Amino acid sequence: MNTGWGGMNTGWSELSREEYLHPGHVACQGCGAALAMRLVLKATGDRVMVVLPAACWTIIDGSFPTHALRVPLLHTAFETAAAAATGLRAGLDAVGAPPTTVMAWAGDGGTFDIGFQAISSAAERDEDMIYVCYDNEAYMNTGIQRSSATPWGAWTATTPAARPQDRPKKDIVGILAAHRIPYAATTTVAHPDDLVRKVTRALGVRGFRFLHLLAPCPPGWKVDSSLVIKAARLAVASGVFPLYEVEDGVRLTLNMSAPTVPVAEYLSLQGRFAHLTEEQAAHIQSMVDARWVDLEDWHLRTHGGPPIGIPSALDGHGRPGDVVPHG
Amino acid sequence: MSGSGIPAVPHDLPEVPLSSTDTRANRTGSWRHVRPVIAEKAAPCHKACLLHAPIPQVMTALARGDIPAAGASLLNHNPFPAITARVCPHPCQVGCNRGRYDEPINIRAVERFLGDALLHRKGAPPDVSTGRRVAVVGSGPAGLAAAFYLRARGHDVTIYEREAEPGGMLRDAIPAYRLPAEILDAEIEGLRRMGVVFRCGVEIGSDMPLADLLAAHDVVFAATGAHGERGLGAPGEEHLTRGLEFLRGVRRGEITSASGTVAVVGGGNVAIDVARTLVRLGARAVVLYRRTRKEMPAIEEEVEHAIADGVTFEFLTLPVVAERVDGHLRLTLVTMQLGEPDRSGRRRPVPVPGSEHSFECDGAIAAIGEVAETKFLPKEVLDEQGWARADKATGATAEGWLYLGGDLITGPATVSEAIAWGRRAALAIDRRLRGEPPAAPERLLPTVSIKGINLDYFRRAPRTVQPALPVETRRLTFEEEIGGIDLVQAMEEAARCFVCGTCTVCANCWAFCPDAAIELGAEDAIPRVTLDYCKGCGICVVECPRGIIALVDEAKVEVRA
Ligand SMILES: Cc1cc2nc3c(=O)[nH]c(=O)nc-3n(C[C@H](O)[C@H](O)[C@H](O)COP(=O)(O)OP(=O)(O)OC[C@H]3O[C@@H](n4cnc5c(N)ncnc54)[C@H](O)[C@@H]3O)c2cc1C
Ligand SMILES: Cc1ncc(C[n+]2csc(CCOP(=O)(O)OP(=O)(O)O)c2C)c(N)n1
Ligand code: SF4
Ligand code: SF4
Ligand SMILES: [Mg+2]
Repeated sequence: MNTGWGGMNTGWSELSREEYLHPGHVACQGCGAALAMRLVLKATGDRVMVVLPAACWTIIDGSFPTHALRVPLLHTAFETAAAAATGLRAGLDAVGAPPTTVMAWAGDGGTFDIGFQAISSAAERDEDMIYVCYDNEAYMNTGIQRSSATPWGAWTATTPAARPQDRPKKDIVGILAAHRIPYAATTTVAHPDDLVRKVTRALGVRGFRFLHLLAPCPPGWKVDSSLVIKAARLAVASGVFPLYEVEDGVRLTLNMSAPTVPVAEYLSLQGRFAHLTEEQAAHIQSMVDARWVDLEDWHLRTHGGPPIGIPSALDGHGRPGDVVPHG
Repeated sequence: MSGSGIPAVPHDLPEVPLSSTDTRANRTGSWRHVRPVIAEKAAPCHKACLLHAPIPQVMTALARGDIPAAGASLLNHNPFPAITARVCPHPCQVGCNRGRYDEPINIRAVERFLGDALLHRKGAPPDVSTGRRVAVVGSGPAGLAAAFYLRARGHDVTIYEREAEPGGMLRDAIPAYRLPAEILDAEIEGLRRMGVVFRCGVEIGSDMPLADLLAAHDVVFAATGAHGERGLGAPGEEHLTRGLEFLRGVRRGEITSASGTVAVVGGGNVAIDVARTLVRLGARAVVLYRRTRKEMPAIEEEVEHAIADGVTFEFLTLPVVAERVDGHLRLTLVTMQLGEPDRSGRRRPVPVPGSEHSFECDGAIAAIGEVAETKFLPKEVLDEQGWARADKATGATAEGWLYLGGDLITGPATVSEAIAWGRRAALAIDRRLRGEPPAAPERLLPTVSIKGINLDYFRRAPRTVQPALPVETRRLTFEEEIGGIDLVQAMEEAARCFVCGTCTVCANCWAFCPDAAIELGAEDAIPRVTLDYCKGCGICVVECPRGIIALVDEAKVEVRA
């Protein structure tokens, strides 16, 4: 068959029709973080308890006494997601609870920065949990302050155009992989079948599992709410946010072939990059290219052959469901 | 776990704040100032199709390999896809949205596949018979189409045809290398299987007055075409053969060869077919046309084929005298120039004074236009000039029992237009026979342009091309020059279709809604927006691959409601 699947796709049969996120939650219009939760819960089902540090999601879940999930959610302090999840796991085990997955759900600030000590030690101990970092690339809930997940050159309230920060985004998956955890993967809200596959894989493994989930934020990225999915799709298609997974901290699989969409196309969609000069955009492109070479190298070492999968060009990058299996 | 998923508080725990209700109490839809409206639209191909065939639906079904469903959709609007796939100029393909991405969908090839696949399967008699009787006069595409739809609705249909065999221009004019007789024969066999009765060799008017038909039938539909041929209107015109006469002679095997240089006067489809036929019979064909290539009414693709066949063209040229000189023919030609636009919008050719020159040839054929013969019709349905008049939407005339259509009304047009007349008349006649009021005119939905298509969801894929005889071979034979494609190719081509404006229930709008505010219904029901919770982010509008969802200002919705 040819590749023109698009006219005739299958209706996302891999996504459960069951909803575990209630409408009426109070996320902004087009919130990537809200969609992230909705999609992840479709994959986990209801045998899951969520541990949530301070973040936008604290608000999204609704003000007391309302709650937006059909599963339990434990609010906890900003720096404690992994520690509190460790405790919850231990408690469930102690009382002999029926099989329940503990899922820490934290923002990038709560993961890359303030919760970093807790996540590193939980990963090092290989605590049995799925840790999802929904990454909107800044401290959004308190007004868009830069975090170590903020990409190079992006505007935030603390890095206005006049005072940029010359540091790249922290390689959180690389860091977690270095803890030799059983499973770490990246995914986005624009790739539901990739997301479902990765959550399902994580569910099937014991120990510390880490998902880095890109979740665009319309006000924080200065992008129209209608373009949230487009932005996440372009993040992948341009190679800014490659889709890959790492097993046992050593075996890396890229879930896409080489990006062919220029990074400029991704940047130009978002107001947070509007101040960048052409040279600065070119610098971002070169960082993206270099990182791709690193990842591809790692993939080659693991598999002995190049990645094949969705050609991530806008030239019909389609859904990652088109991934051609290796071999 | 309870239905809400919130566990009851075990009473031996210290008191913690525990939510007691869920967010469904928040009608966050009230935040919205724009509203997504999900409503299907028309695809440009559908709009451009002379039969308004539901092309996106046909493609959707065929992409799954579902020939019966694809066929049913198509036959509803086009009874003879095996014929139209061969002769229709396919205006549908011109505006295809995919053409603004990579290459337009090859609708013709897909239609040909379906038409050929259905050719011998069609033709079941109707389940019920109404006992009402309809006479169809003329068995060209208009008459055949009317018979198809009337018979399918249970009426008794008899076709009266002047010639010995049915088919009209399809049999007697359009050359075999474009439309083989077997295809037409198979379509007619299908109609016979349905129970349509053919009475050939009966000319209504001379052999049997039109009024006599009425005695035995409830309604008459006449589609007798435009067969009167205009002459050159110049001295010596009797030395020129008439185009239709020539083509008929060839199709009937009465003319089997030609030689030397033959001039063809005219610029329409008949002229091109005459010229290409001459090449196949062994002659050198020169088309003389009084305007330029741009104004030629012939199907553009056919002109290209003629050039490839070796036909030559002399534009801005008009014969004014024809005379026999020593066994050959001398035409006096004048050179023309284009002046002011005429009623057809084309620039009128005017002679360049003193430009007369002579042109020696071995024969000449005039193909400069055909007109309808209307003498057999009651004068009530004719206008002052003697042309037949009928309602475009129904074919109805001033005589309640008489419906007209096809080239008889329009003058020389196309097969698809003739079929459209036949279909519309059949539907109107059916309503009349059932005592129902005329249907409201079919209204087309607004069209989806390429801007409405989310191209991210479509991979570039090459267009399927139909096989064709190489030029060197085809110009020597009357064998069909264009071939068909197979099921796999047809499915591939159908799968390239964006399915503009028709919901395929791809479920993108549902999958990407952060507010779980899109409801998927039963299998192929169009999704619905839950207005209580939709915040109006617009994600569904962008992510619908096929332009079905629009954002409408909430204030305007209220005003309209
Ligand atoms: C050479 C040529 C090439 C063409 N090529 C194309 C093409 O490639 N694509 C395209 O779309 N169109 C083409 N056309 C145009 C197309 O063939 C006509 O528009 C179409 O056939 C008209 O259909 P109709 O049913 O109105 O009339 P016709 O096809 O003309 O049929 C009318 C029928 O009525 C019969 N009849 C007439 N008077 C009487 C009577 N008094 N009693 C009983 N029967 C009678 C005639 O014998 C004839 O069979 C071509 C036309 C010609 C001449
Ligand atoms: C110890 C502590 N410091 C600061 C805060 C204030 N605070 C609440 S949410 C938040 C931002 C969280 O950012 P991130 O983890 O990226 O999640 P996001 O809001 O972007 O979803 C901050 C700084 C807090 N609640 N606790
Ligand atoms: S892509 Fe398909 S539906 Fe759209 S105009 Fe082309 S043929 Fe028609
Ligand atoms: S996104 Fe898909 S399911 Fe939704 S309206 Fe468009 S075609 Fe239909
Ligand atoms: Mg954040």
